[in-house]
Amino acid sequence: MTPKARRAPRANALDALLHSLVPAYGPPGRETGVRAALRGALRGMGPVSEDALGNLHLHREGRGPRLLLVAAMDAPGVIVTRLESNGTARIDLLGGRSAAELIGAVVVFPEGQRALVAFDRPSNNKDAGAPEVGSLYLVTGLDKNTAAKRFPVGSVGMAESRLDRLGDQWRSPSLDNRAGAAAVVAALKKSPRSAYDLHVVFAAQSELGSRGALTGAFGVDPELAIVVELAHVGDGKDQSSVTLGEGPCVGLKEHGYVAHPRGLDLARKAAKAARVPIQYLVRDEGSTDAGAVRRSGVGVPTVLIAIPARKTGGPDSLVHARDLERTVDLVARLLVTPPAPEPAPRKRAPRRGGAR
Amino acid sequence: MEAFSNADGPSGWEAPVRAKVVEAVRDAVDSLEVDAMGSLVARVGAAGGRRRGPHVMLCAHMDEVGFMVTAVEKDGRLRIRRVGGIDPRILMGQVFRIGTKGIRGVAGVLPAHLLSNNDMNKVVPIEELFLDIGAASRNEALQAVSLGDLVAFDTTYEAWGQVRKGKAFDDRVGCAVLASLVQKRPPVPVTAVWAVQEEVGLRGAAAAARRVSPDLAIVLEGTASGEAPGASDGEQQPRMGGGPTITIQDRSLMADARLVDLLTKTAKARKIPTQWKRPGVGGTDAGRIALSGAGVPAAVVSVACRYIHAPAAYLDIRDPRRVVELVWHTLEALGKEWA
Amino acid sequence: MPRSNHKSARRSAQVEWSTEEWLRHLTALPGVAGHEDALVPEIEAAFRLFADKVERDKMGNVLGWIHGNGPSPRPRALLAAHLDRIGFLVSRIESGGFIRVVPVGGFDPRTLPGKEVVIHSKQPMVALFGTKPPHLQKKGEAEKVTPIEDLYLDTGYPEAVVKRRVPIGTLVMLRQPPVGLLKSRLAAPGMDNRSGVAVLVRTLQALRDRRPSWDVIAVGTVEEEDGQICLGARTSAEWLRPEIGIAIDVSHGDMPGTREGDTVPLGGGPSICMGANIHPGVFAGLRSSARALGFPFSVEVTPASSGTDAMDIQIASVGVATGVLGIPCRYMHTGVEVVAPSDVDHCAALLAHYLVGLEPEWRGTEVLK
Repeated sequence: MTPKARRAPRANALDALLHSLVPAYGPPGRETGVRAALRGALRGMGPVSEDALGNLHLHREGRGPRLLLVAAMDAPGVIVTRLESNGTARIDLLGGRSAAELIGAVVVFPEGQRALVAFDRPSNNKDAGAPEVGSLYLVTGLDKNTAAKRFPVGSVGMAESRLDRLGDQWRSPSLDNRAGAAAVVAALKKSPRSAYDLHVVFAAQSELGSRGALTGAFGVDPELAIVVELAHVGDGKDQSSVTLGEGPCVGLKEHGYVAHPRGLDLARKAAKAARVPIQYLVRDEGSTDAGAVRRSGVGVPTVLIAIPARKTGGPDSLVHARDLERTVDLVARLLVTPPAPEPAPRKRAPRRGGAR
Repeated sequence: MEAFSNADGPSGWEAPVRAKVVEAVRDAVDSLEVDAMGSLVARVGAAGGRRRGPHVMLCAHMDEVGFMVTAVEKDGRLRIRRVGGIDPRILMGQVFRIGTKGIRGVAGVLPAHLLSNNDMNKVVPIEELFLDIGAASRNEALQAVSLGDLVAFDTTYEAWGQVRKGKAFDDRVGCAVLASLVQKRPPVPVTAVWAVQEEVGLRGAAAAARRVSPDLAIVLEGTASGEAPGASDGEQQPRMGGGPTITIQDRSLMADARLVDLLTKTAKARKIPTQWKRPGVGGTDAGRIALSGAGVPAAVVSVACRYIHAPAAYLDIRDPRRVVELVWHTLEALGKEWA
Repeated sequence: MPRSNHKSARRSAQVEWSTEEWLRHLTALPGVAGHEDALVPEIEAAFRLFADKVERDKMGNVLGWIHGNGPSPRPRALLAAHLDRIGFLVSRIESGGFIRVVPVGGFDPRTLPGKEVVIHSKQPMVALFGTKPPHLQKKGEAEKVTPIEDLYLDTGYPEAVVKRRVPIGTLVMLRQPPVGLLKSRLAAPGMDNRSGVAVLVRTLQALRDRRPSWDVIAVGTVEEEDGQICLGARTSAEWLRPEIGIAIDVSHGDMPGTREGDTVPLGGGPSICMGANIHPGVFAGLRSSARALGFPFSVEVTPASSGTDAMDIQIASVGVATGVLGIPCRYMHTGVEVVAPSDVDHCAALLAHYLVGLEPEWRGTEVLK
């Protein structure tokens, strides 16, 4: 359903993965297409299963502590809430996007239906504030009866996801978090052995508040978790000092998450060994699956590896190709970096970088 | 329905409702427990002692929106705080029942004669509303009520035609549907939960789901009908009397697609009319249950009621009957089809 | 390098300390969510004076156990007081060496301009929240509150020094030594909830001599102030699966402009909370202990949410019978949180009395059939 994207300048395993994962259908709770694409990409790596919320699990048995690697696989979606008498359909958003970002986007549905997102334009330009979700509708191009059959209430769609390369950057509406999922698969390929008993969860329903990550992590009950996800930076009053192209971020703080010292040490060690430059993410707003993973069950020491990304104002996200490649290097190295021994309770952990 | 609706149970003090439920189901269940939060948990073996089929959690919440007495003023008036989501516009001039003794109080406001035109158009915020129970002093008031007493709408259940009028149909209608399913002996092993504290953040079901640890869950709810004059056809959905309302998605849940399919298929086979709940609004205990433990497939079947979260609501009595029938036969199909 | 406040107060904990000394000690310790390294060993040392066993779990919670003398397996009572204070993390260095921060926990931005802070870099540094002098302000600017993202810290050092010495993510805390007020009341940042931690210490001390039949675990919990949930309370309750969980936290003390019923009197003893977040049996038990002891206390009505660790303890695991005790505290989430030490003492005595009186067979659940 998507025109073939322009061939990337440097075709490699990661690019191939991006091309297969990014356009796959998979809004929150309906991750059918991306799950199938991931199953294909994971073939031969170990037993793969699906759980009650639709998460895809891969278990790569190994010695060492139980490590959970999480990457969300869904993409922001829309859901039809009611049909109007003129053949248009009112929608609500599934996941973290503002109404304005979707206006003008083409939305695709599982059986190939396509529609255009429009909004109730104010008659007077002076009234034009930020459009609300309630003002969005789908132009189906169909009469009322046909529209009701092709787009029944409850239909779930997602923005058509073309993967496109602009100079050094990737652009697509579903890079968040298909880019993270692709990085995880590429890292698994790059490090076929690891220092851990490795569980990988491609999380469903992440856009709806990290639901899949919460239950997926509970089921695995790991000793340590790594979450790989996009972090949008540079919006509005951005307090962070993150720049695209300067390397993956290690998350220190975001809403509902602070890095666990052990995970942090591990990430720094791996980055050093892999010669990957890292940046630090400190933000008040915004969140990833990392918060949900660390609060699941009896608690999970968690570290967030965030790929810097920028929003465009439309549905697209931008990711720097070099950041993505370095994320693969970092995660691959993390998998073979043995964990530091548990610090003795009374000993104060050595201070490093003043980050605590 | 009548007994459940007339009992008072704002979130955190569901005991009077629980007592009525216990009365209704005690003889029909295999075990009955009150958990640490106050939810009622009943295990019911499958009809005919069959052990086949998945372990299903059926859940309805006992609590309703209401108020709590937080302070007594020197002049004997009671100050209240909201428990759950209530529109302040429907409170002025209403009558309430306070505490277990059902002391009556009125939310008096200054008469129109004494107000400026400007103030006439203002809604009195809940923090400024007082209940007048007729006491002239703090001491007099404290002889009748205590701090922390729960406050509920003073509404009595009535019936005319197919219409039933009462308070707290969200979710006493679900409680009644669940009691009725339990009395009929469901065709698969079921743990029935009458949960507490749904209206204050879907809390009771969170702990109950961990205790029950089911294979899947169906939540029984009273939901808001969209009917109102001037609304478009689409906006009127779901309608009172339109049959069981099935949820695809709401703020708390993506309903399990297989369960939704099974519900609609069963409805078609049994010729039960169904309607969709409008996606994007509301949230129920199913959201919490779905996220408990390692995840639970969950769905919601509701009765569309007019004027929930208000002093009195309406429902069409055929709807809860159809929900009982739909859920019973869906459980039967589950016993055969669910892997 | 100016002497930072917590340094001077960091003496090792003593058995014979008065409650006021405990409060001075505990409020001087740094530590916000996720940055408890300097704090945790001090809490462990404090618990170790009185507890049978002290441990730290993987999320950083500190657990002090009192083994009960009832028949095994003994039910468990969890006492939770959160360890974290509100603070900031460095998020960006602006040109000129000005530092932007992200709050960890809910600060009142009105109370920050002009305040001194300590930047907990390898070599701690003092800084100020910069302010614009009146001469340079635009008309009307002074009437508006500056949001935290527009505030900045100034160390006075040049940019190069700041960039070298203050990495992104460095912890920043308000710099305000405890101030003694009349009637031995204390003002300090971090009374929320180090006064609750003081209650834990005092309760452990009381239980060492008068054993309850239950196992009692005092837990200094991490991360109450930041995020959607109380992380430490949730995870420790999941781990311990207690029968009873009691949160000890600050309650709003009486202040001018507040209404009776919304606050509790400072010096009027602990508040015993009631509402949906509290098990009626635990509330009744705490209240009868308070009556038996003859201490002053208040009943605080918290209809839906208690806003404490108990919110997460109650729904952890398969559900926990919860209670909430409050220490009256004025001016919460500012640098001058005021607490009366006598309230801490009464709260601990009440808690110990309740725990000692717990019947071995008491349960929060009830079997009807």
